[in-house]
Amino acid sequence: MRLFDYIGIAFRNIWRQKLRSSLTIFAVVIGATSVTIMLALVTGAKSFFLSQVEANGTLQQVAISKDKGVTKYDDAQHGNGGPCADCTKLTDALVTKIEGVPHVVAVTRVANQGIFEAISYNGNKLRAQQLTAYDSNGVKTNTMLAGRDINDSDGVGVITITSDYADKFGFKNKYEQLIGKEVQLQTNGYYSGIGADVQPPPQCNGPCDNNNQNNQKPTVLTAKVVGIADTSSSDKTIRVSLTWIKGMELNRRYESTKADQLAQEAACKNVRGPCQPTQHMTLVTQDMLAENGYDSLIAKVDNSKNAKAAADAIKKFDVGAADASESVNQQLTIFNIIGLVLGGIGGIALFVAAIGVVNTMVMSILERTREIGVMRAVGAKRSTVRALFTFEAAMLGFLGGVVGVSIGFGLTRIANIFVNKQLASQGVKVHNIIGLPLWLILAVVGIGTLIGTLAGLYPAAHAAKLDPVEALRYE
Amino acid sequence: MPTETIIQLKNIKRTYKLGDEVLNALDDVSFSVTKGEFMAITGPSGSGKSTLANVIGGLDTPNSGTVLIDGQDISQVRDSKLSGYRNEHIGFVFQSFNLQGHETALENVMMPMVFAHKKRKDRRARAKECLEAVGLGDRLKHKPSQLSGGQRQRVAIARALANNPSIIIADEPTGNLDSAKGLEIITLLKKLNKEQGITLLIITHDMSVAKLAGRVIEIHDGHLTERR
Repeated sequence: MRLFDYIGIAFRNIWRQKLRSSLTIFAVVIGATSVTIMLALVTGAKSFFLSQVEANGTLQQVAISKDKGVTKYDDAQHGNGGPCADCTKLTDALVTKIEGVPHVVAVTRVANQGIFEAISYNGNKLRAQQLTAYDSNGVKTNTMLAGRDINDSDGVGVITITSDYADKFGFKNKYEQLIGKEVQLQTNGYYSGIGADVQPPPQCNGPCDNNNQNNQKPTVLTAKVVGIADTSSSDKTIRVSLTWIKGMELNRRYESTKADQLAQEAACKNVRGPCQPTQHMTLVTQDMLAENGYDSLIAKVDNSKNAKAAADAIKKFDVGAADASESVNQQLTIFNIIGLVLGGIGGIALFVAAIGVVNTMVMSILERTREIGVMRAVGAKRSTVRALFTFEAAMLGFLGGVVGVSIGFGLTRIANIFVNKQLASQGVKVHNIIGLPLWLILAVVGIGTLIGTLAGLYPAAHAAKLDPVEALRYE
Repeated sequence: MPTETIIQLKNIKRTYKLGDEVLNALDDVSFSVTKGEFMAITGPSGSGKSTLANVIGGLDTPNSGTVLIDGQDISQVRDSKLSGYRNEHIGFVFQSFNLQGHETALENVMMPMVFAHKKRKDRRARAKECLEAVGLGDRLKHKPSQLSGGQRQRVAIARALANNPSIIIADEPTGNLDSAKGLEIITLLKKLNKEQGITLLIITHDMSVAKLAGRVIEIHDGHLTERR
């Protein structure tokens, strides 16, 4: 028999039982559609994630933490603000050393400041995430939607915000108009850095609480917006210059110094009886950034392949260093697991559909017993009969796969329209992230066909085994 | 006329098990048929005449004995070879026609040629030729349900002719027809037997049909008796 005959006969027999065939195919369609959509979502999310990683240059980075116990890229990148016992301070001297490590092309110093409560424009107050500052040496890059990024010559009072803030300030799709405008940053009450009005504590009798920070009022800093960064390409952070953050990290307070105490004692020297001298206090400034070092460092290597080696070399400075490959792989593994779970759900639908195919074929063969007898009588081999019915079942699976993929394709297209709109509204310049790669289309059609084939094996074997004499006598 | 043996059966035994009972459908049956013969096999129901036809036609295999067709033993060959033999050498005609209801007369006749790997175009031409030979040249596109009983049996005969068989085995071909239509069918088969030299075996319990055959053998409880 020719292949063309198999296809023709299979089609004719499927067509003969239109209702039953279409119901069986429908079950396969549901399975194939769900597998398609589930896997398309995961594939899309994965490629979106990878494109982000690629765009950020994350794989070429080594994140360095003062805490050598930190072994994960994400932990190292986010830094450790507070002091820790077993830490190596991230200093400029260390930066110079790291710059000398093979494959390292640049190192950026990162300092974060989490003391801000709100950012407001024109009375519109939004919760502020932490501010970040880092060198503009190409290690960390942002996609700017308007204006320019912070550069190393920027000083105090200059800021870039991300598009999600700009959107909420009412500058959606007109980011240019926000450039040059002023926003207010409101600190919490503990802020005593640059711009804060630090007052001496009130005079008190007896033991005094010298910790005047409690009395400090929240400070409002004014900053000029010079750029709007694409939310998806940045860390969703408000960026300022390192110069400014150094000022923000100053801890200023009034303290009773040795000289103050001597002055007080001197004032009481000639007083008989109880003495209540005027408290003498001096404004002292503590450079916290110099004291604690940078929150983290990020080294850029020449090639992502060398990131691991560079990280290992940097660890020798008693700091935590990690490249992103592990973190990226971990996230990819998560995507793969989600893919497996979602694909599995679709797979269950396909499995149920396969049972439907078996049922349809068994019924069909029962009804066509006599026909099988006739085919055998006129010269069909057992193998031919088996192939015919297997082919028919495979065709049911194939048709289900094709229709399922088509529906899945349509649905992902529609979903993409909505996702694109959503992303565009967030200023993300990525389109059609729900991917339906060719391999997935072929795989789903292939799986559908395979399932049909497998489901057809038993019924077809049964049909082939029929005794032609019995089959011809079958009523 | 040279007498060439086409079918030779030697000591054929075919038994069936019905529960604990063993039924001897064919018990040590031997006979031979000459090429171009028209032979009727008669006998009461359950006498084993259909079993005999099936053994000769390669649908059934005997428990013992040899079936020589054109000198070739088909009694113990594998399925694929036996199927090929049925396809090339045998044309079956059944009592209940056994046509495919959803297919046209032409498609029904084309079926054996599908299994013979013939080209589509050739199949169509040959099927048309066969249907014309049985007088249904104007009924090519008709489905069995649109045909009378006699016409249906003609389609079945055309199907049997499709691959130019050397033997036609007709099992009660007139069983579902009235006597006039039955006679027409037998006449047609006899004509094919004469004109094309196809060996014709008709299984029947109808003596008026058997009468038309050149030779009649009778089976009783699996044993053969030559009538004429």
